[in-house]
Amino acid sequence: MTEMRLLDGSEAIVEAALLAGARFFAGYPMAPATELLEHMAAKLPRVDGVCINADSELQAVNMALGAAQVGARAATGSCGQGLALMQEAIAEAALNETPLVIFNIARNQQDYFQATRGGGWGDYRTVTFAPKDLHEAVEHTHLAFHVADKYRVPVIFMADNLIARTQMGTALPVPELETLPPKDWALDGTMGGTGASRWIWTFGGGKANRPGVGPDGYWRQIADKFDRIAKAEARHEQGFCDDAECVVVAFGSGGKFVEHVVRELRAEGHKIGFFRPVTLWPFPSEALEAATENASNILVFELNAGQMIDDVRLAVEGRDRIKPIGGISFDDSGLNIGPLMDARVIRTRILDQLAGKPLTELPYTGMGAYL
Amino acid sequence: MELDLFVSGIGGQGVQLIGKTIALAALREDRHVMFSGEFGGHMRGGSSVVTVVIGPDPVRALPNLPSAGTAIAMSHSFWEKVGPRLRPGSLILAEETIADALPDTEGHILVRVPALALGTRAGNRLSASMAMMGAFSELTGAIGLQSLEEAMTEQLPPYRKQHAGTNASAIALGAEHIRAEGLSGRHPAPYLAESIPA
Repeated sequence: MTEMRLLDGSEAIVEAALLAGARFFAGYPMAPATELLEHMAAKLPRVDGVCINADSELQAVNMALGAAQVGARAATGSCGQGLALMQEAIAEAALNETPLVIFNIARNQQDYFQATRGGGWGDYRTVTFAPKDLHEAVEHTHLAFHVADKYRVPVIFMADNLIARTQMGTALPVPELETLPPKDWALDGTMGGTGASRWIWTFGGGKANRPGVGPDGYWRQIADKFDRIAKAEARHEQGFCDDAECVVVAFGSGGKFVEHVVRELRAEGHKIGFFRPVTLWPFPSEALEAATENASNILVFELNAGQMIDDVRLAVEGRDRIKPIGGISFDDSGLNIGPLMDARVIRTRILDQLAGKPLTELPYTGMGAYL
Repeated sequence: MELDLFVSGIGGQGVQLIGKTIALAALREDRHVMFSGEFGGHMRGGSSVVTVVIGPDPVRALPNLPSAGTAIAMSHSFWEKVGPRLRPGSLILAEETIADALPDTEGHILVRVPALALGTRAGNRLSASMAMMGAFSELTGAIGLQSLEEAMTEQLPPYRKQHAGTNASAIALGAEHIRAEGLSGRHPAPYLAESIPA
């Protein structure tokens, strides 16, 4: 056995990023993502990398964009509130085909729409990995850089404060991934007028000697690429769905809690299963449709007012089957996951549903639109 | 099977240190571990609760445990965060002076450890946490005393190296107390019955 170290999620993600070849990080402190920046600042120089504590999130994401455009594996990171400020640059990265990893150490799960719909302009999507714990976070860090480079797209890695602050023994395994071609598109400093200069441009414009496809053709190419990614990169995890009358859908840490409760209920004889989107975009729609084929109840657990539930509704037939059992839940500081992320609470809510109690009679909060 | 442990007390009593040291000691013995604090409670004088899970395989437990089978109580303050989450028949190691103040311990196995007295005897009252860990090791075999001592030393910053000897004595005194009570290995960690990791 490779020797294990006791690391919290923030440090494990940074160690994995370095092993994945990340050599540039720029960020701006914001709880609970600050530790990620601190570990990057301490560790990147040791591998001749660069970490910059920027003046703002806008500056940070654009610095990372620049580093990625000269071929480095580069990343930025914050919590969802910081990513809100970075939206324009993320859209630019998608449209000008820059591989960029954006770490979101989220305060909660209200970041789902932001990650999967985005706030920038254009026909783009952001591949989003949502690990359930530290071990998966280590794996997803490698995958995030790999997928970003493979397709030349921005990739969002969405963990949360539970993952960031829980310490686990890890040997930091490196997954085996296919070898990618060299970055022959990266800017190399060659000047205009030499006939060999390279352009990275959101409008897909060309040069006198290489006119390019123009904006219309370019944005079609980009949209086609996201279609290809949607078909190839959806990932999920499921359990006990074959004969399940009830399937509970949850992502990230929530998925880990739901799996725990579902295993308990299975052991007690309930015909119940769990389904966890591992990538939030592409959403594993076909797999969810198959997994819920025989279910009369599809329960959606998420710590927000109802975001992923939209994707569940798009993926499966029969809206009457789909019910929210999550809700908004913060601790008193407003910076951390609240008391709803608790196996006993989740268990009660599932059992209420199995008993057929109407949602409107239950003391759930923050899901008005879905009740 | 995993050993799941709550450590609870008042910030400043070494609750976080107990959790981390036990986790590091288990890691030294090639066990899989998880260690998490209940966030927001890291102030001196405030509530301090940590969870440690140790197992022969990668840990599957949740970061905030819905229940556990073992607890260390350094204080009766804030026990309400832990007590109701103990499964019936749990093992509780309680600091002797507060053991009787813990409510609802019927149905559990309560072991009193004079950690403060042993720490004082070792040379520093603050090493009560070390004495408690020595007792935990001797009672459960979850981690060896040597690993515990190494994990303690590993964490001492340079400006606190002078405490290593006192800490080591306190660990030894805690273990010795359990031996003197005839309780060595009386409550073995759940995974000890299973195969030794490769």
